Amino acid sequence: MAPISPEALSALPSGINLLEGRLFQANQMHEAFRVLRAEAPVHWNPGTDRFNGFWSLVKYEDILHVSKHPEIFISSKGIGGSGLRETPPGQSGGSSSIITMDPPRHVKMRRLVNKGFTPRAVLQLEPKIREITNTILNRIAHRDSCDFVLEVSSQLPLAVICGMMGLEEEHWPLMFDLTNQILGSGDAEYQARVAPDKVGTFEGATLTAADGNRRMNGFFREILEGRRIHPRDDDMVSILLESEVDGERLTEGDIVAFCNLLVVAGNETTRNAISGGLIALCEHAEERARLQDQPDLMPTAVEEILRWTSPLHHMTREATEDQVIRGTEIKAGEKVMMWYPSANRDEDIFDDPYHFDITRDPNDHLAFGFGEHFCLGAGFARAEVRIMFEELLRRFPDIRVTGEPERLRSNFINGVKHLPVTFTPER
Amino acid sequence: MARQVEVDHNRCEGHGKCVLAAPEVFEHREDDLSHVLVDDVPEALVTKVDRAIRVCPRQAIAWRD
Ligand code: HEM
Ligand code: SF4
Repeated sequence: MAPISPEALSALPSGINLLEGRLFQANQMHEAFRVLRAEAPVHWNPGTDRFNGFWSLVKYEDILHVSKHPEIFISSKGIGGSGLRETPPGQSGGSSSIITMDPPRHVKMRRLVNKGFTPRAVLQLEPKIREITNTILNRIAHRDSCDFVLEVSSQLPLAVICGMMGLEEEHWPLMFDLTNQILGSGDAEYQARVAPDKVGTFEGATLTAADGNRRMNGFFREILEGRRIHPRDDDMVSILLESEVDGERLTEGDIVAFCNLLVVAGNETTRNAISGGLIALCEHAEERARLQDQPDLMPTAVEEILRWTSPLHHMTREATEDQVIRGTEIKAGEKVMMWYPSANRDEDIFDDPYHFDITRDPNDHLAFGFGEHFCLGAGFARAEVRIMFEELLRRFPDIRVTGEPERLRSNFINGVKHLPVTFTPER
Repeated sequence: MARQVEVDHNRCEGHGKCVLAAPEVFEHREDDLSHVLVDDVPEALVTKVDRAIRVCPRQAIAWRD
């Protein structure tokens, strides 16, 4: 473990620094957010010598407001973290995917792939999702314990998204490793490819993410090459190859960026909703018993799991004009970070927000964001979480967590890396 | 004065939150999109429509003015 950096200690309300991944790794962010909502709902984090300063938004209504004005609070200047003060050499390149695009181009690009994500598309894939889920569970069924993350929760989203993209099963483990590298770059566990003396350092994190992206993009360039020679019509990659925006075909860079986004966005988030969901159910025995007695409560239970876990900690926007939020002036060019776990426990919106209630209604959580960039995969994510818990609790009704979850060091993904569980084997 | 509401089909992605909020006003059709069932929204349904507008995750619904 590296020592806490001086930048991590920069003074903030009550000493809270949302740039510090350890706050989240220790699962102490909810307490920090509670304090911030009360004492400093819109506060400026000065950043460090490396990272830009940024505004932190922790109130539901403020986050909603920013999400509703994508033309003022734009995504194209970066959506994760507050951004580096200096772009490392060789790292800005022309192509971008929808998540870093602004209106009006954004919605045109989104509509290209939209068809694959509609409620109907999800419904059609449901039997397949259930089949995959049971194949995954078959692999652990004869044992009485496993690492729930490696063997269960990560495997379903991986199979679903790779299946949608038409990737052969032999490539799935690589996709798993690369998404870990890209989104978990700040965690030493995923820095295996950097020199030993760099592990755990800032440079180790930057190199890990860059290496992950380089290999992911290289992989998809090869896949595209293959599709051009042997065209297919049944997968996302092929749809993108055939698509046009304003009468123009997408560039190779655009398609690769889109594929990269789908694999990364589809994997890490859903995995952690499932892992976090199991932890929540194990910690709330009464709610769990209620769910196991009444499986038809599953849809609202899934919403509560999403609110409770908020798999993405934040998204960032940049203001393009001066704005006032809750009486605080935000200047054009400044970064704004929207903290979803805080919005999802906002006392002004949710009754008894620190209570895990599988029948909560209404439950207008912001785990999937809102508006222009509202999660494209929300329907799939909901179906995957629901089907996983339906099958898991049916087949392993006594499954329980037996040790401390090993959490990811990140202020971006609410990640669980390992989760030991035990259960009665099936006979 | 009676008000009309509309759904922007360039943005709607059929999440159906509007149908849950105001089933008298919105309907989910074969095309996977939400459709408005009434010309003028009756006074009694205005609050429900306001809620639909608020919860539509794609911000596809708006009052016509
Ligand atoms: C529980 C699981 C998930 C959570 C919590 C989640 C969360 C989010 C959030 C908060 C955003 C908004 C980003 C922003 O405002 O900048 C987003 C966007 C997105 N998500 Fe998800 N996501 C999940 C699962 C998925 C899945 C399974 C897929 C793909 C199959 C996916 C694909 C995307 C894409 C493509 C975008 C970008 C949409 C755009 O910019 O228009 N997500 N997601
Ligand atoms: S809630 Fe919005 S996106 Fe969903 S069906 Fe209604 S109008 Fe369409």
